[in-house]
Amino acid sequence: MNISLLQRILFFTLSCCFLFGLLFASVIWSSQAIELALSRDNYAEQLTNQTNSLKQLVANDNIYDSDYSLSDWQNLQVKLTRLLKSSPKLTAQQEIIQISIQSQNESLKSLFTLINQNKLKNASETIKNHLKARLMIQLEAIRSDSLQLSAIAQQDIYNTIKNQAFMFIVVSVVSILALFFGAFSLTYIVRKSLNEIKCAFEKNHSGHFQKIKLSHHSQEFDSIADAFNTMNKKLSESTISLTAMEKIVEERTHVLEQLSNTDPLTKVANRRALFERADMEFSRAIRSHSKLTLLLIDCDFFKKVNDQYGHLFGDELLIHICNICRQEIRDIDFLARYGGEEFILILPNCDITGGIETANRIQHSLANNCLKVDSKEICVTLSIGISMLSERHKSLDQLINDADKAMYLAKENGRNRIEVIPAPNLH
Amino acid sequence: MLILSLVTLLVCISAILLYLNFESRWQQPKYPVVIAVSKTPLSTPFYVAKAIGAFDGTCVDVEFDEVLGGQRAFAKVMNGDADFGTSSDSVIAFKSLAGRAFVTHAMFVQSDNDVKLISRASAKVNSAIDLQGKKIGVTKGTASEYFLSNLLALEGLTTEDVKLYHYKPEQLMNGFINNEIDAFVPWEPFGFESIQLLADKVKVHQTKGLNTLVFNLISATADTLLVEKAKCLIQGLSIAIDYIASYPTQSKKIVINELNLSAEFIDWVWPDYIFKLGLNQSLVLSVESQAMWAISTQMSQFNEVPNVEHFIDSRAMLQVMPNAVNIPK
Repeated sequence: MNISLLQRILFFTLSCCFLFGLLFASVIWSSQAIELALSRDNYAEQLTNQTNSLKQLVANDNIYDSDYSLSDWQNLQVKLTRLLKSSPKLTAQQEIIQISIQSQNESLKSLFTLINQNKLKNASETIKNHLKARLMIQLEAIRSDSLQLSAIAQQDIYNTIKNQAFMFIVVSVVSILALFFGAFSLTYIVRKSLNEIKCAFEKNHSGHFQKIKLSHHSQEFDSIADAFNTMNKKLSESTISLTAMEKIVEERTHVLEQLSNTDPLTKVANRRALFERADMEFSRAIRSHSKLTLLLIDCDFFKKVNDQYGHLFGDELLIHICNICRQEIRDIDFLARYGGEEFILILPNCDITGGIETANRIQHSLANNCLKVDSKEICVTLSIGISMLSERHKSLDQLINDADKAMYLAKENGRNRIEVIPAPNLH
Repeated sequence: MLILSLVTLLVCISAILLYLNFESRWQQPKYPVVIAVSKTPLSTPFYVAKAIGAFDGTCVDVEFDEVLGGQRAFAKVMNGDADFGTSSDSVIAFKSLAGRAFVTHAMFVQSDNDVKLISRASAKVNSAIDLQGKKIGVTKGTASEYFLSNLLALEGLTTEDVKLYHYKPEQLMNGFINNEIDAFVPWEPFGFESIQLLADKVKVHQTKGLNTLVFNLISATADTLLVEKAKCLIQGLSIAIDYIASYPTQSKKIVINELNLSAEFIDWVWPDYIFKLGLNQSLVLSVESQAMWAISTQMSQFNEVPNVEHFIDSRAMLQVMPNAVNIPK
């Protein structure tokens, strides 16, 4: 059951009000009970006094005297009888005693009436004394019952006060415990819930979008948690972290770089990438006095093939030539499309001999792997010009230019050849 | 703080439960007790107590020895055949004269109309004065004899002014039927039985209120153990008396069954009875007065009035119902 904090406070307030109401009611009830018991005690006391008066009268007066006036007796007797009729509300036990007193009073009246009626003029003193004693016994019986009535009332007062005190202590202890419990649990719930919300905010701050899970449910904090969780969900959907963003940018940059450096047809490096790499290799070779050889590869009669078999075949042929070249070069070598059907192969740490060997391998491999078109093999050849870095090369362009010259030389010398621009006195 | 509060609360509740459990389960020793019960509705608290199991929670295991009249109950106690007995104040008065070693623990019922004067209709007895010279049957040394002497005293007469015939309580009516007596003084249920049987032949005199008879729990002079047993008996009687006040119809049924009496009789006699426990000065005075009266009217062979307070033992009552004890020290 989800109870709001307000309801909790209301519940504890009402509980405490109820307990104190109970206490208040019990005090009222007790005061009434004590008042009633006091009235019973007072009644019993009056009975005792009235009986004592009658006893004094019987003890002191000569009731057998012929001149004895009945008025005193009758007055007291009437008062006693009237008093008995005006009893307060009695307990069951007291009611029995009341009946006993009434019965004894009736006996008393009967006895006195008979004694007075007969006067007992001729009776012996023994009889007279005995009957007087009988009257006294009846009166004593009434007095004893009245005392018992009073004792019960006093006991009731004592018990009521004792019970009230006990009730007061119990209700007070329960109320204090309830107040402690209520205050503590409310504080605990509020503090714990606030901490949980604070933790969630802190995690949010660091980019961890986590839901608030409350240990104690209350409508107020649940609504805050719900609002927070909804907000968090939206934020987590629309927000990505910086790391993720960097990763994406890096990936996209890499793709773009690849695209900007790659020839879209042959998937080898394009002219821009070629010069970038070639510059770098040239500078390194100059700086480290290492060897650097450049191969300029041109497909023989490519225009004719293109015209004869179509541009699509021409494109496939270029892709085929690139694949052959890739198979025959080292990992550190770099192949790029120079333009049209011309490719440049940069061979770092490679002298002219190594360049010739590589060129030979490529030519042989191409000769052995002709391209098939409609179950017909089309074989092409390559004219390769080779130049190697030498002292006279002051720039990359000069080196490329030498390779270009060598390639044209190969064309002039009959194609499908390898020509070298010698590089004497290198290093 | 919360845990501490809860633990304290739990400990308190456990302690209370343990205490209550211990109290209820703690078994007192059970003493077998034989009570000589006078077979009269005056003994109702005893019959009801046994029927509702009022003695079960006390220290006594009660067995009844039913007898006719408080005098026989007294004899059983004195012979050692019973631990306790039920006797009227008159019996106590007569027996105190004999110096018997007994005590009264509590009075449990009173009636101002239990003993009756029944005369032959043809004898024309209109009041006690007409009894002069008549043959009257009584049970010697009981409330029957004392009641008659009181009736006579109210007319200035003594038992010497009539011819007394002594009968056992159950034989009074036979004496009357056999014309041996003109009037007799029975207690209930013999009074009722006589009226039922003899109907028009008898006259029942209006004597209600002229003598209050009380029935008491007596035993031999009590030691501590006997007082303990008396305390337990009084506890049971107290429960029974509360039951009688709350459930009079059921209580009447119990007595009807136990004494094999008619409902008509119980309805007739019930309004005269007041069941309540007590031990007070009026009993002392009554016994004393009756003893003196018995001496002065030669109803007893003894002529020295004993100290009646020696025959009252309030220790048991003071433990059970101290506010019902009213005997000046």
